[in-house]
Amino acid sequence: MKTAIATLFAALVAAAPLAAQTAEEFPTKPITYIIPFDAGGESDISARFQQADWEGVAGQQVVIQYQPGAGGAQAWSQLNSLPGDGYTIMGINMPHTVLQPLAGSVGYATEDLTPVHYFHYTPDAIFVKQDSQFATLEDLVNYAKENPGLVTMAGSGSNSSNNLAAIRFNELAGVQTTYVPFSGTGPSITAVLGGSTMAGFNYATSGVSQGDALRMLAVASDERLPAFPDVPTFKELGYDIVGGAYRGVAVPSSTPEELRQRISDIVSQINATPSFVQKMEEAGFVLTDIGYDQMDEFVAARIEEYTAGAKALGIIE
Amino acid sequence: MEVLGYLLDALTPFNLLLALVGVVLGTVIGALPGLSATMAVAVLVPFTFTMDPAAGLIALGAIYTGAIYGGAYAAILVNTPGTPSAIATTFDGFPMAKRGDGGLAISLATIASVAGGVIGAVALLVLAPPLAKVALAFGPTEYFWLAMFGLTLIAALSVGNTLKGLVGACIGLFLSMIGVAVVGGDVRYTMGMQRFLSGIDLTSAIIGLYCIPVILDLVATRDPHLQPSVTGGLRVAEGFRMSLARKVNVLRSSVIGTVIGILPGAGGSIAGLVSYSEARRSSRDPDSFGKGNPDGVIATEAANNATVGGGFIPTLVLGIPGTPPDAIILGALLVQGIKIGPTLFTTDGNIVYTFIWGLLIATLLMLPIGLLIGRYAYASIIKVPKAVLAPTVALLTIIGAFAIHSNVDDAQLMVGLGILAWILNRYGFQPSPIVLGLVLGSIAEQGFVQTWLIGNASGRLPEMFFNRPISIGIIVAALITLIFPIWAEWKARRRAQLEAAGEAVSDAGTEIAPEVKTRDLPSIVIAAGLVLLGIGIVIGARNMSMLGAVFPATIAVALIALSVLVIVQQLRRPPGPPRASFVWDEGTKRRIALGAVMLGWVMLMPELGFLSTSLIAFALIMVIANYDSVPARTWAVWMAAGVVICTGFWWLMANVLMLRMPAGILF
Repeated sequence: MKTAIATLFAALVAAAPLAAQTAEEFPTKPITYIIPFDAGGESDISARFQQADWEGVAGQQVVIQYQPGAGGAQAWSQLNSLPGDGYTIMGINMPHTVLQPLAGSVGYATEDLTPVHYFHYTPDAIFVKQDSQFATLEDLVNYAKENPGLVTMAGSGSNSSNNLAAIRFNELAGVQTTYVPFSGTGPSITAVLGGSTMAGFNYATSGVSQGDALRMLAVASDERLPAFPDVPTFKELGYDIVGGAYRGVAVPSSTPEELRQRISDIVSQINATPSFVQKMEEAGFVLTDIGYDQMDEFVAARIEEYTAGAKALGIIE
Repeated sequence: MEVLGYLLDALTPFNLLLALVGVVLGTVIGALPGLSATMAVAVLVPFTFTMDPAAGLIALGAIYTGAIYGGAYAAILVNTPGTPSAIATTFDGFPMAKRGDGGLAISLATIASVAGGVIGAVALLVLAPPLAKVALAFGPTEYFWLAMFGLTLIAALSVGNTLKGLVGACIGLFLSMIGVAVVGGDVRYTMGMQRFLSGIDLTSAIIGLYCIPVILDLVATRDPHLQPSVTGGLRVAEGFRMSLARKVNVLRSSVIGTVIGILPGAGGSIAGLVSYSEARRSSRDPDSFGKGNPDGVIATEAANNATVGGGFIPTLVLGIPGTPPDAIILGALLVQGIKIGPTLFTTDGNIVYTFIWGLLIATLLMLPIGLLIGRYAYASIIKVPKAVLAPTVALLTIIGAFAIHSNVDDAQLMVGLGILAWILNRYGFQPSPIVLGLVLGSIAEQGFVQTWLIGNASGRLPEMFFNRPISIGIIVAALITLIFPIWAEWKARRRAQLEAAGEAVSDAGTEIAPEVKTRDLPSIVIAAGLVLLGIGIVIGARNMSMLGAVFPATIAVALIALSVLVIVQQLRRPPGPPRASFVWDEGTKRRIALGAVMLGWVMLMPELGFLSTSLIAFALIMVIANYDSVPARTWAVWMAAGVVICTGFWWLMANVLMLRMPAGILF
């Protein structure tokens, strides 16, 4: 309780004048961390995990705010108008920040944004209900081959990672399934659990929160997940699908180089904190450590990959 | 009896203190339009990291339930739902306050909220695992029909004016489509403007549609905002007697609220609307609804607080948050290392049950706290002179609309929609159907398109829509709600006619004489404008993906057809006596001045800064709202109060809620 009062007090006096400072001293007051989505999704939960360890690493708290809208585009289009003093950072997601500008005018271009660290991804995975007729991915593929279009797959949103994965799966497996977009992970998982759709393309994290109620048929990670040692990867089953939603931290473009590096270092250090690693892995997240120095290369590779995906989705010619 | 043992764990002094502070904070935040339960819970989550999990949960749950309840104050006293859950509270709460029964309305809201909250929490305590199945039984089809059911309430809300009510609903449905579509991913009707990408924000739209007209009318006359109460005070004893006499309504509304709370994505606003509609349908005197019937306040408030307990059921049992605050609380639990899901009630039973007991205690605490705060709020609204009340309410609307996304665009939209709503309302297009369309539009659209996709995949489209047991139940309820008011109205008129004609007349061949109404030119102009809007929507839909275009096209056709009907209806009426041309009286001048000040305020805010524009606008509205000759000393006191109110709120937002305030070139 004492700490709670102390932090409350710290938050209240946080309006201290902004003195010039060096990157080593940064931060000297709480940082605002904007999540461009509603609370409760993977972006929020992973940021809350970071928040719990943030003060220990950076010496200051981080305050999470939500600015949902337009699948994140509302917040990202405003990122560069925020002060570049390092005290305002924003969650950033792939493939969202590549696909959205391709799909329409959303107020920013992929190159406008300045991610400093991508710290994890949630692999796509195919789920079915516990009592589903599909025990393995092979069952599902065979059924889909015999009944084109009949297999319905719930997923989170249109032009999303789930949507891309579903299309790629159709292509690689030579089947035709119907992708049904829902307004988020929660509603799409509800649809699978309630039997509204026959299966779902969701993120592996849902497998943890639902326990035995759902069966994961395959996961789009490089290796099997620590939380699900029995679930095969798509690669093992012969489908080259690796990916999901990547999540990172971005800063306004006016943020100086040394602060970008410093924030990237803070996120890296949190990524190496054992308690954080344990919580993330237990929840089904896959940690990545793509810091500021590797960012250009990483983003370029993703743009190439998702531009191909965008063609398959039919959002570009 | 293990469950009862956890009651003792919840009863520690520290937990009781948390529940108390949480309820007080929540009530105050909920009472301020735009500051939502979600925001309060989000800001306070980090402080719970250092607490014991059950204690942290109790604090968050108390704030949440307090905020849902607090929304009733603003709804009753200034006709603005403090939270979207209180939309239907305005229907009867504000008319009650207007006629001097505001204190009674607050008492009823408090008692109903506590009763609803307790029933929801008891359902959570006793029946959570089986009830969670309700969340899974609701598929896209059921959500679609639930939204349709919500829309049928328009028929009840706009008796005698159903056509204009339906047109209003189409406007609301259209507004709900603006922005990036969830299904299909199209960018729709943003006119290339960044600010419309994320759509029309529900909260700022509600503030604008309901509250701006109230302020405009407030400054237009010298009458007090609310009639002073004859008996004074909150009339608590009377409130208890009335609630007891309406126990069936309390119980029915609480059960509806609990069940709708369980449905992820439906939430308190829909629970309030559905139970309001049910209360009206089962009432012996449905016509008095909307004119200050206490049953309306009781139904909404019992239902929306019942959603708190109901919403925790899928959150805790399935890990699927029922409402946005539930989602934040879910995140807080995960950080604490608690595994949500089917096993939670057994593995972490001590935490869960301690929390549920804490929530129950917090709900009960709401009774004394609510009556205390309510007494103060009511007294101050009545006592504060108009010259201070009007600018304060105006400031609250701007803050509320701004605070949702720290975005001036929302405040500008709020003022614009508000002025538009005042004009539309003058010509019979009421705001409530528009709000209903806006609330239910995205649920209806997503449910419709998903059902269509699933039905098409299996080739059983009609069965998907019409042959599922729960859907049939909802459809039947919707039809009853739709037809009943029309039938009741017909019967009432018929009875009146029979009485007038004498008892000897037989039933056969009698026709009901139409009420004599005269032609109304502005209505025709508005309807013609809406026909053009409909055509614009159709043209805009041509470039969209099929998934994104189906709903806009349907709504556009309905809008055009209904607007044409309005025009035909008007043309068939006899032309009335020539209307007195525009009256340039005192009230009109003040209304226009106020509208101009509000618009200038939100337009200049990004340039000049939040605080400076607020201070200037506050002073200007004081002058506009003042009707008396006031000594200089009183002016000085009022001005000082204005400065304190403006800077106080500014400080609160900048430093406690950590919002980015527009600084501009001044401050």
